Amino acid sequence: MKKNRLLAIALSAALLLGLLAGCGSKSNDNPNSGNGGNQGGSSVELNVVTSYGGDDGNRKQYEAAVKSYEEATGNKVLDASASSNEEWKAKVLTDFETGTEPDVLFFFTNADAEPFIQAGKVVDVATVRAEYPDYGSNMRDSMLAVASDGKNYAIPSSGFWENMFVNTKVLSDCGISVPGPDYTWDQFLKDCQAIKDKGYTPIACSLFEVPHYWFEFCVMNNGTLANQLDIPASADDAAGQKWCAALNDIKDLYEKGFFPANTLTATDAETVQIFGDGEAAFLIDGSWKVTHFVDNYPENLENFAISYVPAKGERKASEAIGGISMGYFITKKAWDDPAKREAAVKFVEHMTSDEVMSTFVTTEVTALKNGASPAGLNPLQQAAAKANAEITGVVGAVQDTISSEAKTDLFANVQNVVTGAMSPEDAVNSAIALN
Amino acid sequence: MSLYRKKGPLIVFLLPAFVFLVLFLYYPFIQNILNSFSDITGLGSPSKGLNDPWWANYATLFTDPKLRTAMVNTVILTVCTVVFQVGIALVLALLVDSIKVGAQLFRTLYFFPIVISATALGLMFNLIFLYNGGMVNQLLQALGIISENVDWKDSGHFRFTMLAPVMWQYVGFYFVILVTGLNNIPADLYEAAALDGCTGLKRVRHITLPLLRNVLCTCLVLAITGALKVFDLPWVMFGAGMPQDQGWLTGTYMYDQTFNRGNVDYGSTIAILIVVLGVVLSNVANRVFKPRNDI
Repeated sequence: MKKNRLLAIALSAALLLGLLAGCGSKSNDNPNSGNGGNQGGSSVELNVVTSYGGDDGNRKQYEAAVKSYEEATGNKVLDASASSNEEWKAKVLTDFETGTEPDVLFFFTNADAEPFIQAGKVVDVATVRAEYPDYGSNMRDSMLAVASDGKNYAIPSSGFWENMFVNTKVLSDCGISVPGPDYTWDQFLKDCQAIKDKGYTPIACSLFEVPHYWFEFCVMNNGTLANQLDIPASADDAAGQKWCAALNDIKDLYEKGFFPANTLTATDAETVQIFGDGEAAFLIDGSWKVTHFVDNYPENLENFAISYVPAKGERKASEAIGGISMGYFITKKAWDDPAKREAAVKFVEHMTSDEVMSTFVTTEVTALKNGASPAGLNPLQQAAAKANAEITGVVGAVQDTISSEAKTDLFANVQNVVTGAMSPEDAVNSAIALN
Repeated sequence: MSLYRKKGPLIVFLLPAFVFLVLFLYYPFIQNILNSFSDITGLGSPSKGLNDPWWANYATLFTDPKLRTAMVNTVILTVCTVVFQVGIALVLALLVDSIKVGAQLFRTLYFFPIVISATALGLMFNLIFLYNGGMVNQLLQALGIISENVDWKDSGHFRFTMLAPVMWQYVGFYFVILVTGLNNIPADLYEAAALDGCTGLKRVRHITLPLLRNVLCTCLVLAITGALKVFDLPWVMFGAGMPQDQGWLTGTYMYDQTFNRGNVDYGSTIAILIVVLGVVLSNVANRVFKPRNDI
């Protein structure tokens, strides 16, 4: 009987200990404990989150860069990258709020980053440079994003441009020439009608998932480069009316049947595929999409070109969206961990080195002092470079200057605006109320 | 024997589970109730104090059209779950129970979808219902039933596209429970009935179903409460309320408000609503489908 009692007590104690073991806090103060630091000769495990996940065009280059870092340092990168979209951004912010942020984050440097910057969850560049003077020294400091507190937090990666991709085969079949820098909105509407009449989809776009590309350019078409980044206080002021006019332009395209029949239920990947497969003529997307076509349509690259988004009003078609909007952040958590501090700094230095950056940069803006040296541009990249050479003005995306909640609300309501379930004014007011 | 008479050791054994429940269920639940009255604009962000008025979120529940849509869809899902999941499972169980060879094979086949993750199933059904080149559209076109692609996620079709995979996934679960129940019905009852000329559908009507009543009741209660929690498969397939805010379920709407929009306090309020709905519906189901001890 005594044996049974002892057994019962031992089992209970084991159960309780098992339960409580998970509640303990792990201390990593000792650099040579746990996953260890490279000071002690053992490798460091670095949690990294970037937007180079899924079908991102630079995924291959990112994997190669991570591999070369691991080989050079002996450290291990635990990569939790994903494709960038509003849900991913929300998840990253949630990770910071719940204390499960990564050690190094490649993220947007605009208003999206403000929540974790203001919460003191990332370390500023000056603090890192106090200990590692060469940190980001190959970058032009003037191109480092400045946060609301006046400090720099991220080391910029390659920049981006957004412009119009065209399927030259579809255009040719419809008797339409590749648009030039003088492309007008009226001509675009005529071309879309001709393309539709021929049985193709004029514009490849998922209004459910990525309406922001068309929104940005439609806002620009109803304003100027100079006032592109003005944020409305309500739908009634000048900026608000510009946003409403932009939404009405998208609605007009939708009502004319220029978007795919399933634009309100399709994913971005689906609509990009119909463009790639030669079933749609126009696609507004970013510089990251070039690699997507290179990887997925290597035999048909001559069917794609980078052209100009049609202009109306004061805007010229040669004006585009672009800039450097993303960079590498080191989190406070990694910085305060003696085992991870150096590993994180070295990782960012490696990923933003001239050598690695040259594998990412093809035709995008770069903050590198020496510029990038991309090798062997393919025909599509050459077309992009040619189009970019004729760009007369570049401005950042206005969506990057509003809060994540406002953005999510605005773009979720685009589908309601185009179907008439909501007025553009209500959509703008609803979003601004959350900004 | 004295060990079994003393209650002390029992308490020691129960304590770990109790501590676990308090830490990971009751404490978060109470915190969630407090959150629903507070002003919280980001997950993990501190509360900015009570809402003004403190019941603001509960008032919003009654005026939010998206929540109304979510409630309607959830009720439809619950009804479909009862009718189709348990109904189809019952028919399949009766059929499998009446065959002599291959019953084990069918049990494995029908149960198989349960072990596949809902995310994988969601991706698979996305391909099946894909607009361009999806399996269903290709098949229907090959058969000459449709000439142009059908958007299976548009306003006219989304309910079928959302519900069919959910029904399909869990039919096997209830099927296994019902087959086990059928196996517990003594064979001599069937033999006696056969001697009296009671076979086929008559046997099902007068012997099988009455003796299966308690198992069926358990299945129905499980189905109703389970339907309120459905989230993963519809979220993977439809995301945020596709199409045009008509596809919300209470679970997906709560997730979107909390995690995508940072409207944590309102998300907490929806969570409370889901709990209340669950408690009410499971109580009603328990009363309506109360197992009888005389069977």
